[in-house]
Amino acid sequence: MKLSRLLGLIGLAIFGLFIIGPLYITIITAIKNINDVFTIPPKLIPYTDFEPSSEAFDFIFNTRGKYTFITSLIVASTATAIALIPSLLAAYGFSRCPKAAMNDERSFFTLLTLRMVPPFAVVLPIFLYWNQLGLFDTYPALIWTYTVFSVPLAVWLLKGFVDEVPPSIEDAAKVDGYGFLDRLRKFVIPILGPALAATIALVWLFLWNEFLFALKLGGSRVVTYTAYLPQLRVGQRIQWNVLGAIGVLGAIPPLIILILFRKYLIRVYLGR
Amino acid sequence: MPKKTFSPIFLQVPITVIIWSLVGFVLAWLIYSFLYSTPPGGQPTFAALNNIITMFSDSRLFNAVLRTIYYAGVGTAIEVLLGMLVALALVNFISNSTVRFAVLMIFLTPMALSEAIASHTWLMLLTPQGYLNSILRFLGLPAVGWLSESMALTSLILADVWQWTSLPLLLIYAARVSIPQELYEMASLERLSAFKTFRVVTWPYIRNAVVVAALLRFIFMYITIDKILLITFGGPGFATETLGYYIWMQSFSYRNISYAATLSLATLIGATIIAYIFWRMMKR
Repeated sequence: MKLSRLLGLIGLAIFGLFIIGPLYITIITAIKNINDVFTIPPKLIPYTDFEPSSEAFDFIFNTRGKYTFITSLIVASTATAIALIPSLLAAYGFSRCPKAAMNDERSFFTLLTLRMVPPFAVVLPIFLYWNQLGLFDTYPALIWTYTVFSVPLAVWLLKGFVDEVPPSIEDAAKVDGYGFLDRLRKFVIPILGPALAATIALVWLFLWNEFLFALKLGGSRVVTYTAYLPQLRVGQRIQWNVLGAIGVLGAIPPLIILILFRKYLIRVYLGR
Repeated sequence: MPKKTFSPIFLQVPITVIIWSLVGFVLAWLIYSFLYSTPPGGQPTFAALNNIITMFSDSRLFNAVLRTIYYAGVGTAIEVLLGMLVALALVNFISNSTVRFAVLMIFLTPMALSEAIASHTWLMLLTPQGYLNSILRFLGLPAVGWLSESMALTSLILADVWQWTSLPLLLIYAARVSIPQELYEMASLERLSAFKTFRVVTWPYIRNAVVVAALLRFIFMYITIDKILLITFGGPGFATETLGYYIWMQSFSYRNISYAATLSLATLIGATIIAYIFWRMMKR
């Protein structure tokens, strides 16, 4: 028994090292001078191997780098805000009226299929669509595309939450003749409270992290922080430390959401 | 006095409008472009038959599909197996719940990051003069061509394992902690071996989580090309050109629009089939 426990803990430690190693590398690269990034022997310990430098962060805050985070923030927040109310209505319908047309299980699954659409298979027509409308490389194009693709995730999460609100609390209201909207507003939304916050956070996180659409639907005027990363690789020298610093800054919101909404995380994948 | 009420269909109207405003065009465009090819400055000509024949005789496509199966298949297998082992080890060997929770949070971190961040982290590690090779050289070992023709696809799997093992880990962990402790007490009274306990007690409870995690990872490795796009550009040569990356090249580099649409439609159908299997599994 003792031996198996020891082996198990060693295994966990090795896995932990495998997870932490690359995170650590990203952080130390972010605080390096560009000349300290790749050396033999490697410089791995700050103050001992190399003097920490704010070069990368200075670069971000003195160039348009800083705006890429604001762009990501605007695009992800606006799209989440637009998607929320329509998704809540739909989730309520899927949860409460599974017999009604368009609210049945088949429609629900059809909607969820959209979550499994390969972005690479649709990005060209979406690019052409916005190009044709004269909106390529504008905020509306990226925001609307994000709205469309966040609806299935939002409905999926919200349906699970609405399912957990007992329908009986609405019964009295139903007898009194309250319509769907009033029941949703007066009885369901107040109970959902924290669940709504979790939905907003998780949908927002998914959009904050998105890369492929941001790369092809933006480019020069609308550049999210994810689409900005490859732009740092053109030219003579790759700015490794800036790549690391963008990674560190871009990781802050996801980590906050991970800690605050950890118990909801599993719902992104299982819906319950 | 009864208030005015309306049909539940109206609850679905807003999202239907939102989705079809974009998806309607995408589907129509894909189908039209599959049927007709328009050369620059020319008239549209019927091309569907030609597209299908090209698809079935395209050896580069065939190789890309094989690579996709290898990439997504091996990646999923490692992630699910490793995720399961770590999830079970966490529950069995770390009894302090605060410590266990902190460890779980650290393990989940890569999953919360953007694919774009994870890709650049791994580019720093894998690139020829990068961290992994400088550590190897420092230890007196020969450098490894992580992004060479023979290794690149495996290196990409390694990067994906780093980022996404925590997904199966999380799902299986949740299933494992839901197992009543009495079952394990009974198993130990019966003096069942560790393996037998796993088979009789643990496995029936975590089986669904394992299958769902495997399907999810397979789907997402199939539809995500971010790491390939950022770490290897499909190369060297065609070494990491998966189906998704090949379609990307046909769309944006070669501009074979009609053929790209054909392949896109085919992948969409493939994704729909896998999604259907997934929802069938979820309903159980």
